Amino acid sequence: MERAAQQAVPLGQMEVFEALQRLHMTVFSQSVSPCGKFLAAGNNYGQIAIFSLSAALSSEAKEESKKPMVTFQAHDGPVYSMVSTDRHLLSAGDGEVKAWLWAEILKKGCKELWRRQPPYRTSLEVPEINALLLVPKENLLILAGGDCQLHAMDLETGTFMWALRGHTDYIHCLALRERSPEVLSGGEDGAVRLWDLRTAKEVQTIEVYKHEECSRPHNGRWIGCLATDSDWMVCGGGPALTLWHLRSSTPTTVFPMRAPQKHVTFYQDLVLTAAGNSCRVDVFTNLGYRAFSLSF
Amino acid sequence: MSSESSKKRKPKVIRSDGAPAEGKRTRSDTEQEGKYYSEEAEVDLRDPGRDYELYKYTCQELQRLMAEIQDLKSRGGKDAAVEIEDRRIQSCVHFMTLKKLNRLAHIRLKKGRDQTHEAKQKVDAYHLQLQNLLYEVMHLQKEITKCLEFKSKHEEIDLVSLEEFYKEAPPDISKAEVTMGDPHQQTLARLDWELEQRKRLAEKYRECLSNKEKILKEIEVKKEYLSSLQPRLNSIMQASLPVQEYLFMPFDQAHKQYETARHLPPPLYVLFVQATAYGQACDKMLSVAIEGSVDEAKALFKPPEDSQDDESDSDAEEEQTTKRRRPTLGVQLDDKRKEMLKRHPLSVLLDLKCKDDSVLHLTFYYLMNLNIMTVKARVTTATELITPISAGDLLSPDSVLSCLYPGDHGKKTPNPANQYQFDKVGILTLRDYVLDLGHPYLWVQKLGGLHFPKEQPQHTVITDHSLSASHMETTMKLLKTRVQSRLALHKQFASLEHGIVPVTSDCHYLFPAKVVSRLVKWVTIAHEDYTELHFTKDIVEAGLAGDTNLYYMALVERGTAKLQAAVVLNPGYSSIPPIFQLCLNWKGEKTNNNDDNIRAMESEVNVCYKELCGPRPGHQLLTNQLQRLCVLLDVYLETESHDDSVEGPKEFPQEKMCLRLFRGPSRIKPFKYNHPQGFFSHR
Repeated sequence: MERAAQQAVPLGQMEVFEALQRLHMTVFSQSVSPCGKFLAAGNNYGQIAIFSLSAALSSEAKEESKKPMVTFQAHDGPVYSMVSTDRHLLSAGDGEVKAWLWAEILKKGCKELWRRQPPYRTSLEVPEINALLLVPKENLLILAGGDCQLHAMDLETGTFMWALRGHTDYIHCLALRERSPEVLSGGEDGAVRLWDLRTAKEVQTIEVYKHEECSRPHNGRWIGCLATDSDWMVCGGGPALTLWHLRSSTPTTVFPMRAPQKHVTFYQDLVLTAAGNSCRVDVFTNLGYRAFSLSF
Repeated sequence: MSSESSKKRKPKVIRSDGAPAEGKRTRSDTEQEGKYYSEEAEVDLRDPGRDYELYKYTCQELQRLMAEIQDLKSRGGKDAAVEIEDRRIQSCVHFMTLKKLNRLAHIRLKKGRDQTHEAKQKVDAYHLQLQNLLYEVMHLQKEITKCLEFKSKHEEIDLVSLEEFYKEAPPDISKAEVTMGDPHQQTLARLDWELEQRKRLAEKYRECLSNKEKILKEIEVKKEYLSSLQPRLNSIMQASLPVQEYLFMPFDQAHKQYETARHLPPPLYVLFVQATAYGQACDKMLSVAIEGSVDEAKALFKPPEDSQDDESDSDAEEEQTTKRRRPTLGVQLDDKRKEMLKRHPLSVLLDLKCKDDSVLHLTFYYLMNLNIMTVKARVTTATELITPISAGDLLSPDSVLSCLYPGDHGKKTPNPANQYQFDKVGILTLRDYVLDLGHPYLWVQKLGGLHFPKEQPQHTVITDHSLSASHMETTMKLLKTRVQSRLALHKQFASLEHGIVPVTSDCHYLFPAKVVSRLVKWVTIAHEDYTELHFTKDIVEAGLAGDTNLYYMALVERGTAKLQAAVVLNPGYSSIPPIFQLCLNWKGEKTNNNDDNIRAMESEVNVCYKELCGPRPGHQLLTNQLQRLCVLLDVYLETESHDDSVEGPKEFPQEKMCLRLFRGPSRIKPFKYNHPQGFFSHR
């Protein structure tokens, strides 16, 4: 209802353009700062916005507290994934990974600390990076995206160590299985593949669309989101959101949600999920109960 | 000395004693001169002290003699008589001495007195003299002080300074040799010179006066001559009118206009002046004229005293007669409303001619009681336009100038004070009267120099030329752009209604050569209908669908797929882009709520509109957007992934060249067309 008040303002060219941009904005990625006070969000225009979670979540929060503290143009293309180390914010989109210092990020005119591009094979089009995964024990960053490979980058030196091939179509998402340690990747080809980090080899493949309980052919076979806590895995996308037991590679529970899911995480014993189709980031403090939304 | 004095005295004495026998006496005087005895002279000779001693001695002798006599007498005897006689003779001598002494004393006294008297008289005389002199001295001192204080009139005159004097005065007056040394002469000379100068100046003054008289007389003569000239000039001007027209120099016309302009109310006058100036300076295609009745305008200023008296009389009469005759409240109110909304009889007509010979006619009115200006607009084109059905509102006088500046919809009065006036006569809003009176846009007020500070009613609003001048150029340009864009849309709509998207040749590069989807329908829809569509909620919520916009529905088809596009056309087209909202009916209904690709398509058309603007005025934006929409539908349909569960071939085989079909977490199709390679990629 706050929007209705905006009609009184005469809309010039700039205002109309900004309103249109907001209407067609998609937030692809977010990441919380190491101190837990800030949230960084990346959108399809390549902008990153930093929100103050402490201000927005406090009891005296006003409309302005839900606006970003800082917005800057980070990438040329959409920012598909972001992840935070204890000092840096890593963002990736159109083929590049960029790092930003959390301590500096609130200042105006913040510049990236470094940027890296994994060695791609194709030169016609720069493939996007859809997922970033941090492996803290080995100080590795794993990137996966449009070129159907998983690249591993050493955070210390910035060199790309190895690339894992196996997917036949581009990769959507990554998850880390800490115990082994293994990386799970889900892609457009409908398969969830498990890779061993030490041997850099594919260990297991689960072709989700082949299982009748969860497949939804009209949606396609693509796997959009993955989450795991070593024994269990949740994945969804074209097929329905399903809980899998990894050792036996069998689906156990199928969650009844219609829309294809984009993001999912495990939080303690709950599953939090969001299908973000707008410029809003929905914050769930309880499963099924949406508290409020942050907006660009 | 004593002899001299005695000689002197003698004649005196003689004269005083023997006055009658003068003649004789003088001879006898001289004979008796030496013999005469003068006691007075003797006085001077004798010593008063010795005389005093003699007196005392004589007195003593007398006393002694007396005593002797006494004795003798007392003794008696014969010898006594002789001795007494002797003594008597002695005492008689002594008595004689005493008498003489007495006489001498008297004489001395008299002399003394005379001497004193003389001295006193002298002293008195001196005293008098002294007093006289003192008096004179005082008098003289007074005179001196008077003289010293005397300011000669010549000191009050400001004389020219010394240097000037010596420079200017002729030598016979200045007499330098004499005056240099002698200040008195100098001052005299200066005064002379002053006098000389004054005489000269008096001469000049007299001359000037006489000149002035002469010139005044000449002026009189010339004035008469000129006044006789005026009617002749008028006749010449009349005669020259045809020549003016022949030479295209309508001075007379301009002059007449300025004459009528004098009767314009201040805001219209400001507008007239500024528009004429702008037209002459910057834009030859602008013409300004004044319409209306000048007599009525003049009549406005006549004090309506007579009519007021009549009114009050007639009112009184009415009340006295019958109540039935009194007009109803509604009619009274109506009259009051009409009075309030009355227009000034004169109006300013502006004709803006555009490059393609279409003309925008603007008539500006001034509402006297409300102190605002309104405008009525009309567009005429060189060739007659056949209005397509959907283009009805584009050029309508009501809406062609709506929102020239953002938010300036012209339905509300810009003068906050009017609200109070409206309340009195029961007018809710000016919107109801706008068709008749014209639109009170804010830019119209600015062109008339009227400035209404927001929400603060003012009693008198001063018309400001600078406000008008600063807005004139921008407004004229905006007006022209508006007319031209509307006319362009007009033409485009005619084509769109026939199902053809008119893409100009310089925009062909934006699209691939082969476009299969076709525009099937193009109609206007009402604002309420637009807001009720289920797929336009976002636009309505974002405040982009107000009632000043124009709304259209387009339908694009290919095979079984039907794409509905609801279009919001902002009056500020083409600087403000049209907004499209899509709903695809093909294998279910897909809108931006449930299909990311529909969202992406909308984004291609709404957000990336700048690529589609085309050459400079940007009038091709709408048609380019529609064409792109057709291309997007093609891509969407052809790149749809084959559903394994359904049997049969794809309805739309892929003909477009795409590098990748899906990309990114949202799995968007490749909607971006790359020229000249001709393939599709992702943004």
